[in-house]
Order: sequence, then structure tokens, then C-alpha cells
Amino acid sequence: MWLYAQIIVSGFYLGSFYALIALGFSLIFGVTHAFNLAHGELIILSGYLAYVLWKYGQVSPYLSIPVCLAVMPGVALLLHLLLQRLKAPFELNSLVVTFGLALFLQNAMLFAFSADYRLIHLGGSRIFQVPGTPISLTAGQLWVLSLSLAATGGVHWLLYGTFLGKALRAAIQDRQAALLAGINVTAMRRTAFLFGGMLIGLAGPLYALSMYLHPAAGLEPTLIAIVITIFAGVGRTRGILAGGWLLGVAESLAAFVLGTGWRELVSAVVLLSLLILKPQGILLKG
Amino acid sequence: MFRFRLSLVLPLAAALVLALWPLVWAEADLYFQVFGMACFYGVLAVAWNIYALSGAISLGHAAFFGLGAYGSALMSCYLQWSPAVTVPLGAVAGAAYGVLWGLLFKNLRGVYLGLATLASVEIPKVIIDNWSSFTFGSLGVVGIAPLPDLRLGGLELAFGTSLKAQYYLLLLFLALAGLVHRYSLVSRWGWALRAMRENETAAAMLGVEVFRHRLQALLLSSYLTGLCGALYAHLLGLIEPALVFSLHISALPLVLSIFGGRFLTWGPILGALILYPLDQLLLQPQFPTGHAALYGLVIVLTILFCPQGVAPWLRKLRQIAWN
Repeated sequence: MWLYAQIIVSGFYLGSFYALIALGFSLIFGVTHAFNLAHGELIILSGYLAYVLWKYGQVSPYLSIPVCLAVMPGVALLLHLLLQRLKAPFELNSLVVTFGLALFLQNAMLFAFSADYRLIHLGGSRIFQVPGTPISLTAGQLWVLSLSLAATGGVHWLLYGTFLGKALRAAIQDRQAALLAGINVTAMRRTAFLFGGMLIGLAGPLYALSMYLHPAAGLEPTLIAIVITIFAGVGRTRGILAGGWLLGVAESLAAFVLGTGWRELVSAVVLLSLLILKPQGILLKG
Repeated sequence: MFRFRLSLVLPLAAALVLALWPLVWAEADLYFQVFGMACFYGVLAVAWNIYALSGAISLGHAAFFGLGAYGSALMSCYLQWSPAVTVPLGAVAGAAYGVLWGLLFKNLRGVYLGLATLASVEIPKVIIDNWSSFTFGSLGVVGIAPLPDLRLGGLELAFGTSLKAQYYLLLLFLALAGLVHRYSLVSRWGWALRAMRENETAAAMLGVEVFRHRLQALLLSSYLTGLCGALYAHLLGLIEPALVFSLHISALPLVLSIFGGRFLTWGPILGALILYPLDQLLLQPQFPTGHAALYGLVIVLTILFCPQGVAPWLRKLRQIAWN
């Protein structure tokens, strides 16, 4: 009984992190229609940045988060400049170009960091127990959980509580109408890449804390981001959080029932089923 | 008339050069290997492009490649059949998965088809990774039988050991694949594929059976890719899921075809013959790990600056030279 409770709690922890991974993708895709297949690779890159700071600069992983938050939006803006030059059909071209970029980043990271698996170890990892139950989370997991939820809350406030967010949502829902209403859609695209880059920057160090970094690790977060975005629709923070939790719990259950090796199959199978059931895609409703 | 003949003469001349240079330069194992593999990836690019001719950009051809490789390797391992039998039979595993794609993804187009193909590589990969009792799991299959020797009169072709013989085998394979590719471009069937790519509704109006034609293209493409995978297993002697189902295998034919020019008969082949030797002979010695970043860079630059690939440039050069 408590075992299943533990699996579900782990699933919620994992799912909150997945929601953070999906938020950046969903924001960028919603506003610019760019399919960023290098999303996962950028997260891994940010994770390596935190790893290098921790390993060679003795910087605490929590202090490296602000560094990643500052660097990755710059990288995302470079990607924006690159994608801006693409000709029609924009969506398909962005897919192929970012697929190439993912291949490039994987090999560049292989060259720079070798194929070894890396993880940021927290010295003396403490374990926190939910009072009155045997359910527990490590200190690292608790950090990942709370920062992911805080970031999701922040994006929700940004989108639904500020004027900028209203403009972003308008650009997601209908570009022409947003232009007519006097919204600078070009600036909104830049803003989406900026915030998307910050979310990628935050996800990197958290990834390095909770999962193993290796140069080819990026495909899984990319698939996760796409699954959750298709499930929830773009720019819907609550839907994305719910989708993340469902996927996280499903993966935890699959890992427990079938064995850890089968966990990777969950996101691929869910993505394929969603695409087969909803072939017209994501953008039908804003 | 003259230009038409020239378009036949140039590929023939190129084929002759590729076939005859080993007579001049007999001992060059490195070059046999590199150009042999360039021919191999040329076939892979052609196979990918046959599906792409119908308008479908696949990001998951590694699924067919890996299934073909495992199909042939496991058959040769358990049944002890000769690779001459297991290679064509093993490739059927790739083709079967291709039919599955065709049926399940029949309503998907463009970006969504690309995403579906990308995700569908994971399924055979994870299953093979975990089914250790049958597939040897993530350790992979080792000690796969090399290709058998062939005796033609007095001529002995040791495909298993001689890199030169392997080079000629792969060159022949490329020539055959090139003919199939030519057929897929210029035949009535090929025109139907192109019509579908340009405007599916209009093509259907003209009587093109969209579903059947796309399924046929996918079947041909996946079987050829499966053949490549099966050959790869026997050429290399060992395979593992992370190797044959990698993103690299999915990306390579796409990069080579788009770089070479995917609307021309010899575009994908040209891409393979330029890029692969460039990667292996120039970059690999400098950067033993990570040299494949070249392919990522090339695809980004090609889409940005010459979406038609480099083959149209050569055609233009030829026109300038002859006028």
C-alpha cells in the first residue's frame, strides 16, 4: 500500500519536473510555431554548464542556477536569429534545422565532455520523510520539485496575471488579430525565446541533479516536452502541469511494474497514440 | 538531344571512375573502406529519399535500419543460415515495420508525421534492449558471421575479409539503388509520387491513389533501409541497440539527401560521396569524437542557404560550360 503511495509521490516529483521541461517548449512553439527538436539538447547543455561549474569551479549547483538562467536565454536568442531566416514551409524547415542542430550539439558535447555519464552529487544527501508515513524524498528531489513548481507558478502568473502575458497569449491564439490589436508580434517572439531560454536554463541544473547527463540524453526530454505540449495545448500552464503529473506517474508505475528499462517507452507510446488520435495537431485550439 | 545524352554520360563516367580507380591504386585499404561506406550511405540516402519523394520527411529511418540489422543477425545467430539468405530475409523485418507505419500514420502529414517517425524509433529499440533472453539486450549481438566468399570461375571474391571486394559489392549495391531511385523519379509511378508531394488533393482528383502509392514508396524505402541495416550487421560483425537505432542513423540519410539535392536522380548519391569521405578523411583524424557534428552543421547551412542542395549548382555549371 505505502509502496504505491511512494510510487505516486515519485511520479508527482518527476511530473513536476517534466512540466518545467515542457513549459519552455510550449511557450516557444506557441508564439513562434517553431518546432524545436534541439530543446532537450539545450537542457543537457545547460546541465553540463552547471556540472562544469560544480566540478571545476566548486560552485554549488544552486548558485549555478542564476548563471544558467543568464546564459541560456542568450543561446535561445541565437536560435531565434537562426530560425528567423528560414523560408516557408516554416514549421517543417524549423523541424529539420533543429534536428540538425540537435545532432550538432550532441556531437559537440561528445567532443567536449566525452560519453561518460555525469551527475552532480550533493554531499551527504539528506532524506525527508512525510510525517506519519514511510514516504520519503531526498533533498535533491525536494529542490527539483519545489523549483519546478515555483517556475510553473511563475509562468502561470506571467501569462495570466500581467499585461505582457496577455499579449503573449494573444500572439499564441491568433497572430493576425494580435497584430490588429496593436501587439508587436515580432517582439513577442523574441520574448517567448527569452522566457523559453530561462526555463531551459533552469531545467539544466535540475536535470544534472536528478538524472544522468550524457551527450545523447537530449532526445528523451524533447519527446517529453512534445508529448505534454500536444496533450495540453500550447500556453496552458495548468494543463501542462496536469499532463506532466500524468506522464510522471505513468512512467513511475511502468518502471515499477515492468522494470526500469521500459520507462523510456512510455513517452514514445503516448506521443504516438496522441498523434494517431489527433492527426491535425496541436494548433486547432489556442 | 545532346544535353539529354550528357545527363546519361556523366553518371556513367562517374561510375566508371569509381569502378576503375582501384586498378590504378591497388593497395589502399583506407580508401576502399571509406568509399565503400560512402556507397553504403548513398544507398541509405536513396532509400530515405524514395519515401521523401512522396512528400514525407522521416526522422526515424533508424527503426528500419535497426530492425533489418537485428533480423539478419539473429537469424544468422540462431539458425546458422548463410548471410546470403539472412540479409534479404532479415530486411523483411524493416519492411514489416514500414507497413505498420503506413497503416498507422496514414492521416499524418508534414511536421506531425516527422514527430511520429522520430518517436517510433524508440519502440523497437526499447523492446530489443529489454528482451535480453532473445536479443542479448543492451550488450548487443557479437560475432555475427561475415559475408560469404563468392567464386566466379577463376575469380575469388572474399566479401568477408577483403576490403576491395566489399568496396565493389557496395558500389554494385549503390548502382542498383541508383537505378531504383531513377525509376522512382521518372516512371509513371514516380510522377504520381511527385504529384502527391506538390498537391495531394489535386493528385487525388487526377486519380492518383494516394494511400496505395505512399504505402508502396514506404515499403520500398523501408525494405532498402532494412537491407542496409542487415548488410551493416555482417560487415561490422557486432551490433547493439544504441548503435543501430541511433539518431545518427536517422539523420544521416536526411542530411546526405538534402545536401546533395533531393529532387534529382543522383542528388542523394552525390551528397553521400562528398560528405562521408570529407567527414572520414579530413575531420575524423582531427576530432576522433564528435566529428559527426559536421552533418548537423551541413543540414542547418543547406536549409538556410541552398534548400535545393548542391546538385542544381552542378547542373547550372554544366549548362554554362556547354553553352
